[in-house]
Amino acid sequence: MFSSKLQSIHNSFQLSQLQIFFILLIIILAGIIYFMCRPRPVYLLDYACFKPPATLRVTFSTFMEHASQVDFFDEKSVKFMMRILERSGLGEETCVPPPNHCIPPNPNMESSRSEARTVIFSAIDELFSKSSSIQPKHIDILIVNCSLFSPTPSLSAMIVNKYNLRSNVRTFNLSGMGCSAGVISIDLARELLQAHSNSIALVISTEIITPNYYAGTERAMLLPNCLFRVGAAAVLLSNHRRDSSLAKYRLMHLVRTNKGTDDKAYRCVYEEEDSKGNVGIALSKDLMAIAGATLKSNITTIGPLVLPASEQLLFLLALARRKLINPKSKPYIPDFKQAFEHFCIHAGGRAVIDELEKKLQLSSGHVEASRMTLHRFGNTSSSSLWYELSYIEAKGRMKRGDRVWMIGFGSGFKCNSMVWKSMRTVKTPVSGPWSDCIHRYPVHIPEVVKLY
Amino acid sequence: MEFLLILSITLLTYSVIIFIINKLNKMRHQNCYLLDYACFKPSDEFKLPTNICGEVIHRNRLLGFDEYKFLLKIIVNSGIGEETYGPRSIFRGEEATSTFDDALLEMDECFEHTISDVLSNSGVKPTDIDILVVNVSMFAPEPSLASRIVNKFKMREDIKIYNLSGMGCSASLISIDLIRRTFMSQFNKLALIFTSESITPNWYSGNNRSMMLANCLFRCGGCAMLLTNDPKRKNQAKLKLKHLIRTDLGANDEAFNCAYETEDELGHTGMCLSKDLPKAAALAFVQNLKTLAPKVLPVTELVRFVMAGLYRRSKGSRGGGSNSVNFKAGIDHFVIHSGGAAVIDGVGKSLRLSEWDLEPARMTLHRFGNTSASSIWYALGYMEAKKRLKKGQRVFMIGFGAGFLGNSCVWIVNRDLKDEGVWKECIDQYPPKTLENPFMKMYGWINDQDI
Repeated sequence: MFSSKLQSIHNSFQLSQLQIFFILLIIILAGIIYFMCRPRPVYLLDYACFKPPATLRVTFSTFMEHASQVDFFDEKSVKFMMRILERSGLGEETCVPPPNHCIPPNPNMESSRSEARTVIFSAIDELFSKSSSIQPKHIDILIVNCSLFSPTPSLSAMIVNKYNLRSNVRTFNLSGMGCSAGVISIDLARELLQAHSNSIALVISTEIITPNYYAGTERAMLLPNCLFRVGAAAVLLSNHRRDSSLAKYRLMHLVRTNKGTDDKAYRCVYEEEDSKGNVGIALSKDLMAIAGATLKSNITTIGPLVLPASEQLLFLLALARRKLINPKSKPYIPDFKQAFEHFCIHAGGRAVIDELEKKLQLSSGHVEASRMTLHRFGNTSSSSLWYELSYIEAKGRMKRGDRVWMIGFGSGFKCNSMVWKSMRTVKTPVSGPWSDCIHRYPVHIPEVVKLY
Repeated sequence: MEFLLILSITLLTYSVIIFIINKLNKMRHQNCYLLDYACFKPSDEFKLPTNICGEVIHRNRLLGFDEYKFLLKIIVNSGIGEETYGPRSIFRGEEATSTFDDALLEMDECFEHTISDVLSNSGVKPTDIDILVVNVSMFAPEPSLASRIVNKFKMREDIKIYNLSGMGCSASLISIDLIRRTFMSQFNKLALIFTSESITPNWYSGNNRSMMLANCLFRCGGCAMLLTNDPKRKNQAKLKLKHLIRTDLGANDEAFNCAYETEDELGHTGMCLSKDLPKAAALAFVQNLKTLAPKVLPVTELVRFVMAGLYRRSKGSRGGGSNSVNFKAGIDHFVIHSGGAAVIDGVGKSLRLSEWDLEPARMTLHRFGNTSASSIWYALGYMEAKKRLKKGQRVFMIGFGAGFLGNSCVWIVNRDLKDEGVWKECIDQYPPKTLENPFMKMYGWINDQDI
């Protein structure tokens, strides 16, 4: 029956055998070309964040007491730091490394390395305990990013030494790249995973706080003392196609934007010496405006990749109206809530999160992960995005098929963002940095926490 | 049935053809070409002869006569000449008290010259650069040096930048590895690498002997390299990358600790170079060559080596002599990191190289000192200035660095090269009649064991 139907179709088209050959050939060739040209998938097998012990906690009162005891801060500086802390959005459980608990802080190279070992090795140990099938000897690529501490041998060499990685492991140690360096590391891992099939990459994002305590009185340079806290994240990536069933997330898009050509943007997060020779990071007053402008550039590139057609059309129509009819009409802000279920915005500070909540027209629920990470862990720099993802998972909100948008900002000035798609529903309870406190969250964070 | 058979065979043949075409196409785009490179030659007012080195040692109040003797001995026997360059801070007498801005200025001078040179020589604009990789081991400010370069040269907003740090003297090969792998999935791209080392903020002002070596050996230098995988620029390219092998001995504790940045008892930071360094270098070298040898040596040499090994084994210990691979069968030129006279001698002995082969490395050490990761580019520049590099020849580069890392690569010369580059004013004076330090008469007494 079926073959006679085929025969009748064949007769009606009156195609010669040769023509059939070519049609089938073209279809098969198209199929082959498509399969060969597909980029290799990048799967996130698992990740782990460093959970600092309670002994490293610095409460507001401890912070202020220490600040008023040391002689390199004058009264004005102490008052200024207090005001920052009151409005920072940080909680009472954030942690600083042991040398910063001393009065005065006594950082040195060995204690910086010690902090690096503690945070990085703890994160890696936890990661390997969660991924039972992957062991250190399977690692093909190792990327470490730590902005403000770069000893020789590098932190990547330190990891190779501790975990006895293979002698043909390809390591890269990124430094000085700011709070968005976590996204840069994932981008580098993605490039390397495209070059070689069946590879495993380990990406470590951290910031080492010990050597970076600013011991001067320049206001613009006191902010990092108040906001930066210890943290680290270890992420395991793979491009084995069979890992699609084991993986937690799949990388869909990654967009990097660099506003370094503009001098104001370049200088808005700038490491320099103050007039007394103390080195610190100066944050300019234009930081929010520059972050907004850089985000806009990033959105312009990522928007067409992720927004549904309806939103893109509305955006184009509004743009046309502005250009052609009424230049004063409001620009249309695409509704990113239609493209993503979850948002992880770098917990750089309260102002950054407020600004993005406003600019992207997000609800407080969407920025909850960022706010709560800032509250519980402080600004952990490049690893903050992973603490936020862990929060969303711990709250049981991550379902299969959900899309997560991670946005990082950092010195340069850079705005780097990446989109992950969840491969499975994450069941609670989740072991991770939130396991002992998730039930207490979300908390209400007042505008100002009075400190006296 | 016949119809189906013919159909299957035809489709299979075509699929295989397409598969091959696709693979060839990918290989075409995977070629990594070195378009050009430009090394840094600081201003002559920053030349650092032995007598000034003596004055600098004298300035350090922590150093006594024994340390003075030890350091002069190192300098006089190092193979480093009288025309190497030091940082500004030394000439102002401020090597121990340099500022953050001094360190930035040192980097600014280096990259402004090298990058402007390499871009103008190859007719490339800063906005044409798609990827920028910077590797400076011992200085990583924020924003990164890569961001600083983007700002100074006004590069594009969508440029991909990577700032590597802490990766030692072989880091320029790591940068090339990064770019080579990126080229495998991104086509028709132009990449810029800047490699240098920061001397200014890393001056050791203590009196620990293992940590003072770095002060004696490291000198100012840097290099900017332009790479591409655009087949249209093939004719312009100087070299084509054939192989790149990375070896990481970090898992070996001795090797990991042999070049270690640390603080001494008095709190001064410096690079501690242990006595195990030559051993670690040798180990890294052997491991690296084991992977590289089958890729570069002709089959005849590999067969000869295996046969000779079997013959020796059959003869037992009476075999006599040593059997080693003759790398000169597959490599025409050898570029060795100018880490010091000992490194060059060691590599030369293992590979059974002649003085002619080792000349570029020795002359680089003499004229420019140990410029860390950029030294191999000065050595390459020497070969080019001496008109040694002819089309089709193979160039082997090896670098060693803290970690412990041993990285090597093999280039194929794309066309006859004749640029004099950074050696322009002095190539005719090389090789000099003697490499002996001219101050031997003044300082030669330090070699006497009696004193």
